[in-house]
Amino acid sequence: MRTNSRNFTTTRRNVLFGAGTAVVAGLSGAIAAEKQGEQVTDAPVSDKTQERQSFYGAHQAGIVTPRPATGMIASFQVLAKTPQEVERLFKTLSQRIAFLMKGGTPPEFDEKLPPSDSGILGPVVPPDNLTITVSLGSSFFDQRDWLAPHKPVRLSRMKASRNDALDADLCHGDLSLQICANTPDTNIHALRDILKNLPDLMVLRWKQEGSVPVLPPKSDGSHETARNFLGFRDGTANPDGNDSSLMDQLVWVHQSDEPSWAHAGTYQVVRIIRNFVERWDRTPLAEQEAIIGRKKASGAPLGGTGEFDIPDYANDPEGKVTALDAHIRLANKRTKTSDENRILRRPFNYSNGVSKSGQLEQGLLFICYQADLEKGFITVQRQLDGEPLEEYIKPIGGGFFFTLPGPANEDDFVGRTLLEASGHKVTRV
Amino acid sequence: MKLKTTLSASLFAISAAILPRVASAEVAPLDLVGPIADYKVYVSENLEKLVADTKTFTDAVKAGDVDKAKSLFAPTRMSYEAIEPIAELFSDLDGSIDSRADDHEKAEKDPEFTGFHRLEYGLFSENSTKELAPFADKLMADVTELNKRITDLTLPPEKVVGGAAVLMEEVAATKISGEEDRYSHTDLWDFKANFDGSRKIFDLVRPLIEKSDGEFITKVSGNFDKVDVTLAKYKKGDGYELYDKLTDDDRAVLAAAVNTLAEDLSTLRGKLGLN
Repeated sequence: MRTNSRNFTTTRRNVLFGAGTAVVAGLSGAIAAEKQGEQVTDAPVSDKTQERQSFYGAHQAGIVTPRPATGMIASFQVLAKTPQEVERLFKTLSQRIAFLMKGGTPPEFDEKLPPSDSGILGPVVPPDNLTITVSLGSSFFDQRDWLAPHKPVRLSRMKASRNDALDADLCHGDLSLQICANTPDTNIHALRDILKNLPDLMVLRWKQEGSVPVLPPKSDGSHETARNFLGFRDGTANPDGNDSSLMDQLVWVHQSDEPSWAHAGTYQVVRIIRNFVERWDRTPLAEQEAIIGRKKASGAPLGGTGEFDIPDYANDPEGKVTALDAHIRLANKRTKTSDENRILRRPFNYSNGVSKSGQLEQGLLFICYQADLEKGFITVQRQLDGEPLEEYIKPIGGGFFFTLPGPANEDDFVGRTLLEASGHKVTRV
Repeated sequence: MKLKTTLSASLFAISAAILPRVASAEVAPLDLVGPIADYKVYVSENLEKLVADTKTFTDAVKAGDVDKAKSLFAPTRMSYEAIEPIAELFSDLDGSIDSRADDHEKAEKDPEFTGFHRLEYGLFSENSTKELAPFADKLMADVTELNKRITDLTLPPEKVVGGAAVLMEEVAATKISGEEDRYSHTDLWDFKANFDGSRKIFDLVRPLIEKSDGEFITKVSGNFDKVDVTLAKYKKGDGYELYDKLTDDDRAVLAAAVNTLAEDLSTLRGKLGLN
């Protein structure tokens, strides 16, 4: 019966779409103009769908992993209250993430039942460079007496900064998932899979999707930093994610006053920052560059020539080259002491539709990671408070979360170290 | 292929024609001294009126006279709205005087939500002056402080000239929707004040570019006139109809005029040689 219905589908497809299947089979990395006989509604092709990240390791994936083209933050309220329920939540999450990141064929159910998978990526789920990163909000600990004593010491509830206009419906949460992949459909597929598998233990509160502009590969193999919706490069001064000793120092929790279960985790900050893009586009170029502190086209700091030039603030004490309140100068003073305030940014741009006033709802889905929330984001944001850029941006949502350490191997699951620290005896997967 | 080239060339010609001209070099910094001084007088007059009107308004709130306080809410705000680009230079005061509920995480219940719109919320949404007295006192104190600070302030020319566009940006970004005065629906009063404030700046610097850029002057004046004509349709007594009376068509006319004014006035600083 099943085979018959498949045959029928194939036959019907051939009738309706002609040689479509043959074309798809023959395409790998072909240039658009060379494609033969392609049909209007053929699926666009990518040679990156088999890119795969590992779910296992000391740290979760999706943090020092180079950012793919699309990402999403989904924030949940968690209903799991008891240690047993939380264990089931963590294990189920881990199982789903392991499957989704690896890719494969979802189980087939009797067709009188709803299918096990949404099917939006086809019958075989491609990994597509997917990462799903699990983090916990302050409320997750505060609302469970048995977990409260084990809360990471620097985890707090995000407070409004002076330029914020926070929308309560876009803030905080017990648990966040950062879902990133080469295509937005892979993220949506992953989210729907997780929602379907954990309906009783967590409820979606808010989500924000984003993307970054894709560039052609450069002939010399070099890379450049992606641009945000203000048209400027964003992340140039990021610490090097490949430098593991630097990451140990700046990103991974290691401090002796932190609970040992939390070591190798990190603090995640999410901010939904609306950009007033119409107004920005009506601002003189020289003023845009003065506000940011970089040349728009090249990304070079003012007074420099290349994107990665280090601005020389020591020789510019009055701000004649780079204004004292330029964004990059306030964010990173480039001194010995400011080095410990560096954060690992991993943002995406978002575009949501139209405001009540008929303007574009666009901005930055800001995501960053740091070993110390206070020394990292909170300090940097405090330095930025009152910056001229505030006229063009308005943070409206987000939250602070603690990103759990990674699951060691296939027998492990995210959150195990926390459960064990609480005294709950877990069984391995 | 040939057709394509011709087409794109002519398209380029069109877009080049509507691009703003290169910033005018004929305006010397000294030429701006007069207009800036005149603008300072305009700001001072508005501030004096704001302080006096706020006194009457907050007295009515504290006396528990809901109807009188309601009738004074919109006219009192106008002198603030007209000089908003300058008033906003002090972001702490702008926040406490003119922030809106959605600037605060707990919205109307947020203790940081103070100023005009907090009083508006009490008067129009709850129809009461109950518990408003402390907010009235704070508004009066903040407005007095604002007057003091601006009196001592040397107005930066780029802020003044840029203010013409800033006022339009404010309307375009958050006012055209009717969300500014969401409890009283007196948005058209604010609009009028914003437009007047913007036009004042434009009129003051207009003689400096009248000769060199007549086309620009004509276009901007035309859009200001269009706004005046549209707003005049909603005149009622000394003020304006409620915002929900504005038809969708007129709202679109205003939105387009505001966007065009914002686009054009964003070039004003450059035309006057200001950074």
